[in-house]
Formats: sequence, structure tokens, C-alpha cells
Amino acid sequence: MSAIGELRTLRRDGRGGLTADQKQALAKERRRDSKAAAVFLAPWLLGLVGITIGPMIASLYLAFTDYNLLQDPNFTGLENIQRMLGDERLGRSLVATLTYVVVSVPIQLAVALGLALLLDRGIRGLALYRSVLYLPSLLGASVAIAVLWRLVFGGEGLVNAFLGLFGIQGPAWVAEPDTALGTLIVLHVWTFGAPMVIFLAGLRQIPRQYYDAASTDGANKWQQLRKITLPLLSPIIFFNLVLGLIGSFQSFTQAFIVSNGSGGPADSTLFFSLYLYQEGFAGFRMGYASALAWLLLIIIGAFTALNFWASKYWVFYDD
Amino acid sequence: MERRARRAALAGSALALSVSVAGCGIAPDPADAELSEGEVTLTMTWWGADARHQSTLDAIKLFEEKYPRITVEPTYADWGGYWDRLATTAAAGDMPDVVQFDQLYLSSYAGRGALLDLDAVPEFLDASSLPDNVLASGEVDGSLYAVPIGVAGNGVVLNTSLFEKYDVPVPDTDTWTWAEFDAAAQAITEASGGKVRGLSPFGADSFSLEVFARQHGDQIFDAEGDVTIDPATVAAYWQRELDWIESGAAPDAAALSEKAGVPLDQGDTVVGNTAMAFIAAGQFTAIAAAAPDFEYEVADWPADPDTPEGFQYPKPSMYWAASSQSEHPAEAALLIDFLVNDPQVARAFGTDRGIPASEAFQEALEPTLDEPARKLLDFTKLVGERSGDAPPITPNGASEIETMLSRYNQQVQFGKLSPQEAAAAFIEELQAAVDAAG
Repeated sequence: MSAIGELRTLRRDGRGGLTADQKQALAKERRRDSKAAAVFLAPWLLGLVGITIGPMIASLYLAFTDYNLLQDPNFTGLENIQRMLGDERLGRSLVATLTYVVVSVPIQLAVALGLALLLDRGIRGLALYRSVLYLPSLLGASVAIAVLWRLVFGGEGLVNAFLGLFGIQGPAWVAEPDTALGTLIVLHVWTFGAPMVIFLAGLRQIPRQYYDAASTDGANKWQQLRKITLPLLSPIIFFNLVLGLIGSFQSFTQAFIVSNGSGGPADSTLFFSLYLYQEGFAGFRMGYASALAWLLLIIIGAFTALNFWASKYWVFYDD
Repeated sequence: MERRARRAALAGSALALSVSVAGCGIAPDPADAELSEGEVTLTMTWWGADARHQSTLDAIKLFEEKYPRITVEPTYADWGGYWDRLATTAAAGDMPDVVQFDQLYLSSYAGRGALLDLDAVPEFLDASSLPDNVLASGEVDGSLYAVPIGVAGNGVVLNTSLFEKYDVPVPDTDTWTWAEFDAAAQAITEASGGKVRGLSPFGADSFSLEVFARQHGDQIFDAEGDVTIDPATVAAYWQRELDWIESGAAPDAAALSEKAGVPLDQGDTVVGNTAMAFIAAGQFTAIAAAAPDFEYEVADWPADPDTPEGFQYPKPSMYWAASSQSEHPAEAALLIDFLVNDPQVARAFGTDRGIPASEAFQEALEPTLDEPARKLLDFTKLVGERSGDAPPITPNGASEIETMLSRYNQQVQFGKLSPQEAAAAFIEELQAAVDAAG
């Protein structure tokens, strides 16, 4: 029996009043439990302090320096922030990133929700479909898929071969400034599996009686979706939205591979994190890159806060 | 369930916000470098294509046979990821002991104290086999930080198989003018019905810009490291490219952008999409090796009667340098010494790193050369006869010149900026980067 299980037994037994011995045993159990908890948490805590918090504090300091990777940093006050104000590439990278986030996240969630609703109707072979549809989520962020994407959407790629069947001569999608970002949006939408699985789980939580009652009252499927499914699913939608926004703001791999690290053509796929990376590691301006990282944190924080604020008006908590 | 979802959303948001950072290192004094008593492991890194990886691994084996006490751990990469990784390892204080360098980054690293002063370890490294004017290109502020490995001009590579296939006569490259060059390129495009284009244009690398500038009596940097090139020269450089794209001599902007930055063996020259290209001639043998079905020649740039003489110059194709943070500076110097002086290394490397800078190496090499390497040697000798004084090496802070060039180049290609606008912006940005590092 686990420590926690024992504790439960003890608690149940102790409901009618505890003897001194029992109290002592209980306290001992608790101490042992918290020790166990500390041991189990340790790897995560070490990671959090060593890999996240520590570097964050360091980068906060570096954001106000001229750190160039090779020499000791000098404090330069607000110089990096001044630099941001006049930085044209930063502007272009913000536009590319915001376009990507604002377009791809809602579409991806809509696709995920639509498929989850379809799968939830209890079709045969659900497990298989679920796994197959989930697969792109596992692969989507990988280098291999980004390389594949480059080929699929290239001038001689699969997409154009397909369009060619209808006599359409498609452009080199990844190589045109007007379409390159679109291919990355499609790639992101394609990884709808993770939110879809969460939606599916959420749909399973909605009591069937609600639908039975609604049909008895004569509500059609559309009304049931609008009045029952969506409100009861809204916390899940919210959850997926928040994580989707944060994740896509930090997208890096896809743009890095598809544009060969340049954010091109003509900065059209210059995601924020890619620009930050270029500044830090190719331009030796790690101080500025650190400042950019904090700007990204602030932007994501603001979007997330806005999200939580707006959630009051559309997310329904059933309690 | 919902409460949990909300809490998870909060926790998730907190966790997902992560920020990057790097640490710093401390350098030992190279002057007290001496050989260690026991076993030593050196790390070494270079960029290149497959042929170079194999030949360098062979050279390392020879070194380890000569110095059984020393083990060399190699890492190698393609050009694309090489410099990002080097910057990261340098920042983390574990830059490899021996590093293959390019003149683009030499001042940036040496000027920031990341490289070992090779003048401080004369008892382990003797670079006197190299001509003084070549060795000078490895110096920053009067100290030797990098030993040039090979030299190469910038040449035009011609895929003569394609000329033959489409029945276009190969121009006389000894005397060709720009008009003849353009006509040949156009003829290829027309004869192949656009399937093959006449040429891959320049537009995105500092070597071709430098040679182009020298053809117009200009140069990118002055001796103080300031960007002194005339904006009109840069604009003309891009205008030339636009003309080629427009006439059909070159692939269109999208096709070029799709190939920008791909590894050498996927480039248009190797896969036979274009019949001519401007290359750092050191790449010639790698191109020939990657495309065994094609025959290639390498030739000097076209020149008009009014083009100044001596626009070519032998640019060190790459260097060996050592890390100032190395725990074994003496052994690192020993390895560089071996790599630049041992005739076995000359034979292992062949001409993959350009024609060796040292004459002893050239002699050791000559009997073993295959067809492409012989062509490269001939070209290098030709460049040697025709070349003028070398321009100053890329100054500290200007290592981004390549990425800037390719960025502005794309904006020009896609009509987002005119060549004049791009030239002005490019020069301003480059000068700012130099100033910031100063």
C-alpha cells in the first residue's frame, strides 16, 4: 500500500478521535510523505531552477548589457530598449509572428474541434482514427517534417505536382515572400492532434442526459451544439487557446528549417524567436537578444492576461 | 475537471514562457603553454562537405600515429550551422581547441579575445613555410591568430557537359568580355527551352561583391575597417543580377530563393539547373566530386577592356586557429603545425581546402592531382599572375555581411527594394555593426 493510501486509511480510522499513538504515527506518516514528495519533485525543481529560473535571471541582467558571447558584459542601461524602437527587422518579425499566431491558432482549434466532434459520434475504429489524426502533432515540430515541408511546397514539390494535374502552375510556395508564411501556417494547422485529443476528452465529460433532455424538448443538433456542447466545452477551448497562443508565439524550428535559418524570403518568415536567435548567435548581440527574449515574454504575458480577462465573458465554469 | 483545466492553463502558461541565456569563460595565458605529461584529448572542428570530412579524419589519424599520446575528437558540420554552433560553444567556454576559420569571422573572434595568439607558441608551431603576404591575412592587430590553409580566387565554374548537350560553344574564357558571357548564358537558356538556365547570379556573398567592386576600382572595407564602398557599386552589383533574371539568363527570384543557403551538393550548379556560376574556386573540386556526371571548367571572371587589371586576389579559403580557452594550447599548436607542414596531410587534403598556401605542399601535391584538382591548380596559378594586392580582411563586427547581403539581395530580387535603396541600407547597417563592435 502506498504512503498516501495508508494516510487515507489512517484518516478514515481516526475520524472518531485519535489516541496519542495514532497521532504520532500519523505525524510520522506525514513527514515521510513530504519527504517522498520532495524526492519525487527534486528533478523537476532542479530543472526549474537550473534550466529556467536561473537563466531567466541571468538573461534579465544581460538584457541591460552589451554582452557579445565572447567578452564579459558591460552594463549599458536602456540602450537595448532604445535599439528596439528603431529596429526595422524587429518590426517585420513582430508582423510575421503576430500574423502567424492570429491566423494559425484559431484555424487549428476549429479544425481540432470539428474533428473531435466527428470522432465523438462513436464511430467504429475510433482508437485508430484518433491515433492517426494525432500523429502529425508528434511529428509537426520535428526537423524532418520541416525539411519535408520544404520539398512538398517547393517549386517542383508535391503540391505543385498535384495542381499541375488541373493545369495550374503553382509558385514555389516556400520561396515566395507572399506565400512562405502561409506554408508555415498550414504546417501548424496540420498539427491539430494535441488539441483534438483534449477536446475529445472534454466532450466525453459532458453528461449525456443534457442531450437527451434537449432532444425531448425538440432542440436540433445545431442548437444542442450551441447551447450545450460549446458552453460546457468552453473551459477546454480556453485551455487549448492559451497553450496554442503561447506555443505558437515561440515557434522556431519550422521557420528555421524552411528558410534555412534566414527567416526569408525577404524576412517573411522571420519569427520572433528566429530573429532573437540570429541576433544572439549570428550577430554576437546576446545582450540585445536577451532584451528581445524579455520583450517576447512581456508580449506573451500580455496576450495571456488579455485571454484570461476575456475568458470571463465566454468561458462557462459549471460550478 | 474544469477547475483543473483552468489551473493547468495557468501552470502551463507560466511554464511555457522560457527564456534563453549563455555563460562566459575565462582564458588562460598562452605564454606559459607547455606540453602535458600524460594523455591529452584535443577537440577539433571544421565545416565542409563529405569529401572534406573523410580527408580530415584521415589526417587526424596520421597525427595520432605520430603523437600516440594525443587523441583528437573531431566534430564537423555544414557551413550553415557551423558558426552558430561555434558562437555557442565559445560563449559556454568549451570552444574546440582547434578550429577551422574563415576570414569573415577572424577579426570578430580574435578582436574579442577568443583565439589563441599563435605568435606566443613558436616552439610548437612553425608557419614559416607560408609566404609572408599570405600569412599576413591571418593577422589581426599585428598578431598571428590563424594560419591560412589554402588560397583561391573567385572564378566562374562552367558545366561544359551542358554546353555540349545544348550545342552552345564554350566561350574563350581567357579573353571573354561581359557581353560574351551574357550571350553564352542566354544561349543556354534559349537552347534548353528554359529547362536549364545560363547562370547562377552573384548577389549574396562578400567574395563576389569584393571582386565586382575591384572590377570597378572600388573595395568594400578600407584598412581601418570602415565600409567605404560606393553605394553605386553595390547597386550596380544587384542591378546586374536583376538584368540576368529579367533576360532569363538566370533562374527567377523564387527559384533562387528556394536554393539560397542549401548545401553545396544540392546547389543549382551541381544538379545541373544552371550552366555557369560564380564560386570561390576552392569549391571547384567539391562541385566536381558531387556531380560525377558533369564535366566542369573553372575560369577567370569576364572583363571588359576598361576593367582595371588585378581585380582578382588570392583569398585564403580558410584557416586553422586555436581557442584561447584551450586547456592544451601547446598540443593545439602542435596539431596546427602538423596540419600545415606535414606532406602526408597535403596528400590527404588534396585541393579540397583550396590550393595549399605553402609551396612545399603544392609540390607534394602535384603528382597526385586528379583532373578537377589540376584545373583548380592551373586556375589558382592564373589568378596568382593576374592578382593585385589583397583587400583588408573583414573587420570585427562585420561577420554578418553575408547574411545582410543575402537578406537585401532577396528584397531586391522580389522587388521590395530598388538596388539603390538596398545598397544604401546595406552599407548603413554594415557600418553600424562595425561601429558597435569597435
